[in-house]
Amino acid sequence: MRSPLSAPIARDAAIALIIVAVLLAMPLVAPKGLVFVVGTLALHIVFGLSWNLMFGQTGLVSFGHASFFAIGGYFYALVARSFPDLHPLLGFAGAGAFGVALAVVIGLIALRRSLGVYFAILTLALSQIVYLFLSSFTPLGREDGFTGIRRPVLDMGLFQVDLAKGDNYYLFIILFSTLLCAIIWWVRHSQTGRALRAIQQDPERAAFLGINVAGNRLLAFAIASGVTAVAGALYGPWLQLLTPDVAHWTLSARPILYSLLGGVSSFWGPVAGAAGFAILEYGTRTLHGFSEIIIGSILLAVVLLFPGGILGGLESLRRRHATPASAAKETRR
Amino acid sequence: MVDYVLSPLFNGLFMAMVVFLFTTGLTLIFGILRVLNFAHGGFFMIGAYVAFSIVRLVGGETSVLAYLAISTVAGIVVGLLGLVVERVIFRPLQKVDEAYSLIATYALLLITEGAVKAVWGVSFHSVATPDLLGGAVFAGDLFMPTYAIFIIAIGVASYALLEWVLQHTDTGKLMKSVASDPWMAGMLGVNVPRFYTFIVVLGFFLAGIAGGLLLPNQTLSPNLASTFVIQAFGALIVGGMGNIRGTFLAAIMLCVIDSFGSLLFSEVPGLFFYIAMTAALLLRPQGLIAGARL
Repeated sequence: MRSPLSAPIARDAAIALIIVAVLLAMPLVAPKGLVFVVGTLALHIVFGLSWNLMFGQTGLVSFGHASFFAIGGYFYALVARSFPDLHPLLGFAGAGAFGVALAVVIGLIALRRSLGVYFAILTLALSQIVYLFLSSFTPLGREDGFTGIRRPVLDMGLFQVDLAKGDNYYLFIILFSTLLCAIIWWVRHSQTGRALRAIQQDPERAAFLGINVAGNRLLAFAIASGVTAVAGALYGPWLQLLTPDVAHWTLSARPILYSLLGGVSSFWGPVAGAAGFAILEYGTRTLHGFSEIIIGSILLAVVLLFPGGILGGLESLRRRHATPASAAKETRR
Repeated sequence: MVDYVLSPLFNGLFMAMVVFLFTTGLTLIFGILRVLNFAHGGFFMIGAYVAFSIVRLVGGETSVLAYLAISTVAGIVVGLLGLVVERVIFRPLQKVDEAYSLIATYALLLITEGAVKAVWGVSFHSVATPDLLGGAVFAGDLFMPTYAIFIIAIGVASYALLEWVLQHTDTGKLMKSVASDPWMAGMLGVNVPRFYTFIVVLGFFLAGIAGGLLLPNQTLSPNLASTFVIQAFGALIVGGMGNIRGTFLAAIMLCVIDSFGSLLFSEVPGLFFYIAMTAALLLRPQGLIAGARL
């Protein structure tokens, strides 16, 4: 029996450190196109991890997660254009706070009445409303999108960093995403995280033990939405353009794919899923039409052959090849 | 009167029947297999493209009867694809968790989009409405395209047919019994796996025929697959988790509300569909027709 906290913190920190070091070194060796893909991937990892905080921990299936990504992005872009002197970090934080506030309002109404498929379809309907608004609201650029989103200058008191220069914005995205992932890791492993897991396993029993089921579900929804809104805010200056497509339901399907593809029961599942998906996309980008066929077929194969996702599949392989003694120990546990 | 009541009502009904025709196969499969098939739109699209290819093959001018026949052929082609999909994908999915069937059918949607791009290319196509359906009828000041009247008639007729099959035939009773308790139906001697195959093929056939029927209404492009899926999910869930009557009523309710809503607020087309859908889910989370299977 491992101790609940100390072992994962050392292991996960080590894994995170290696990944971050590799990503920070990317611009030195990789071509520009690949660096762009990796920067986007970092934001998508946050996107996937935050969705899985709801699903993997509380069993809540949101089908409108992309709308929070889009809302955060448009919020930051609008604020940065309207108040050019505002500190960019305040802009990013504001996007997060806006996401949280919106999620609390929606959650207060929606979570009490509907769960399961109903919550999924309800969030889907709401995200369609967001999508339609973004595509027809003139100040936000309608279908042409919100153009000319600048990469800001970061004033850190003692020194200034111009994020528009060189690879600065890429490094900023990697570091900021790491911070957001750390927040999710911390929530997952905190007392709140354990309460959420109890709710997922048996809401009735959890309520009987004195856990506030509705409140904790709302908390998970709010945190996930806020973190995603910040990721969306970071995405605007990265692309320097936002189109309503970031709110489209096909983007809401992404974190679900990442989580299920990688494995929902582990913290690293969505990370592996998002990375796997990005590799597939990057590898097949020049094959018109066939890229969808290849990606679709591989997704299908993973679902049908490894229902536990990539990480679940690796785990069962490891178990199958483990020595008999350790295998016996595994079964006893 | 015409501008503010009859015309939006007519347009709403037309849109409702478009959504209903799209949704029937989805409802059948969800009602019986409990698989929310994301790829439904993909196979609808394949039906439309197959019909388009046949129309081009036989030449531009088609009679109404030929057009119905072409749609049926498209339905049969897609139904045969359904046979393959059931064997290779849906059957193994019965053993894994429900959430994974979502990602599997999404993967299937990607494959259908890729396949359409590979076979038919990415350019836009469209097909002229058959001559007899190309005109319009005026009832007083109310302008009604013949094609819209035709689709409304087909929609109501399909609903009546499905309802009759479900309520009054042995096949329908079998469907309802398998939907409400597959294990018990199996105990009583129903070959449940074979029955599932039949349902999937039927559902795909309905998707394909809808693709053919609605072809004159659409611009063909690989984006067609994801056009109606969300409205269809709305009608399906608001109707009450997979029953035909509920889907029919929900499609009419949502589309007519949307049609009247666009009068008030025309800047954001389609907005009121989702507002009505959200309200319906909050006010009546069990669906319009609760508890009924099929």
